[in-house]
Amino acid sequence: MRQLLDRGLTMRRLCALVIAALAVSSSAQAQSNSPQALPDWSGVWAMQGNTVFDRATVQPPTGRAGDAGVREAPPYNDEWEAIYRKNIDRVKTGAFPDPVSTCGTPHGFPRIMNVPDVYEFAVTPQATWLLAENGPGILRIYTDGRSYPAKEELWPTYTGASIGRWEGDTLVFTTISLKASKDGDVIVDRTGIVLSDASHATTRMRKIDAETIEAQMVIEDPKAFKAPWTVTKRYKKQPAGTWAWDYACAENNRNPITESGKTLTLGPDGKPLDKKVD
Amino acid sequence: MTRLNLRVGMLMVAAAAVISATASAHHSAAMFDDSRVVELKGVVKELQWTNPHVWLQVTVDEKGAKKEWSIEAGSPNTLSRNGWRNTSFKPGDTVMVRVNPMKDGTAAGSFIGAKFDTDGHTIGRWN
Repeated sequence: MRQLLDRGLTMRRLCALVIAALAVSSSAQAQSNSPQALPDWSGVWAMQGNTVFDRATVQPPTGRAGDAGVREAPPYNDEWEAIYRKNIDRVKTGAFPDPVSTCGTPHGFPRIMNVPDVYEFAVTPQATWLLAENGPGILRIYTDGRSYPAKEELWPTYTGASIGRWEGDTLVFTTISLKASKDGDVIVDRTGIVLSDASHATTRMRKIDAETIEAQMVIEDPKAFKAPWTVTKRYKKQPAGTWAWDYACAENNRNPITESGKTLTLGPDGKPLDKKVD
Repeated sequence: MTRLNLRVGMLMVAAAAVISATASAHHSAAMFDDSRVVELKGVVKELQWTNPHVWLQVTVDEKGAKKEWSIEAGSPNTLSRNGWRNTSFKPGDTVMVRVNPMKDGTAAGSFIGAKFDTDGHTIGRWN
């Protein structure tokens, strides 16, 4: 009997310790990213403006990405400015294809912040997912306190690796391990902007009013840039009840790319309509 | 604006550029001539309600010969949020369609707007 009592006391003490530990853990969570403290980014959102990445510097000011002669002013060094100019010339001749025309290549980061159609933001204490309808387009931002994998466990990917934290209502995250552009196979936008494998970014995202989320990106690229490049994008909340849908790009892709980089237009029979294929 | 009537043929030349409202979501739009607008009158053969682009196939009578035009619009996702339905164009509908044509003269273009012969309702940008 005494033994049972002793065991009971021990169990009671153990329960008390567990409850105390849970309370401490819960309190720590509440200070940073408890569900109650996280901002409401629910709903469906659409990027404001066209798909010129840095609309603050685009020339001409009404220019659209992909139109001949349109350019922005990323802080390129001479070597990478020359690459950008070459890409701008390729745009003029229709020989700068969009890599996502393959219907499987992700937009990657930072381009995923700059796509048409709509976005959703799934915010949880452990991670935030940016879901771009136009895709494949998912940006995973882990906020569970993890560190980046060791260097030998990382490899360059289109969207890289992002970890972040909440500073009040602002999600601050850094993105590393980005795949470099190799002859335009990863682009920032259709004007011809590309980055090197040294690029990385710090992004601050917050709701600036009930209808608008703003993302300010500071992109650094020690190989390509003379200075950090700050670009701001905004997303407008769509009417309540708006749906986002499946974007099955391969369903009926009538715009394949030839080996020379020309984007074809196929007829309903699957044969090129273009007068000249290559 | 260049007007390509299925019976009459080319009527007039563009006075002002009208850029397609259905910007290409997944490929370079270098093949389209944004400085030109062609107006077609024809009969809907098929509406391909598919990603990444909706395609409207219209049969146009050009000087007595029938020619099929392939007209590219936006994604069904975005178009549906803007009032389009997969039944917006039905086979057999007689329509006027304005497009930015392909630069190389191919019978294809980027959709701007359409007006239906039956009741005059429009879809996309018409005025």
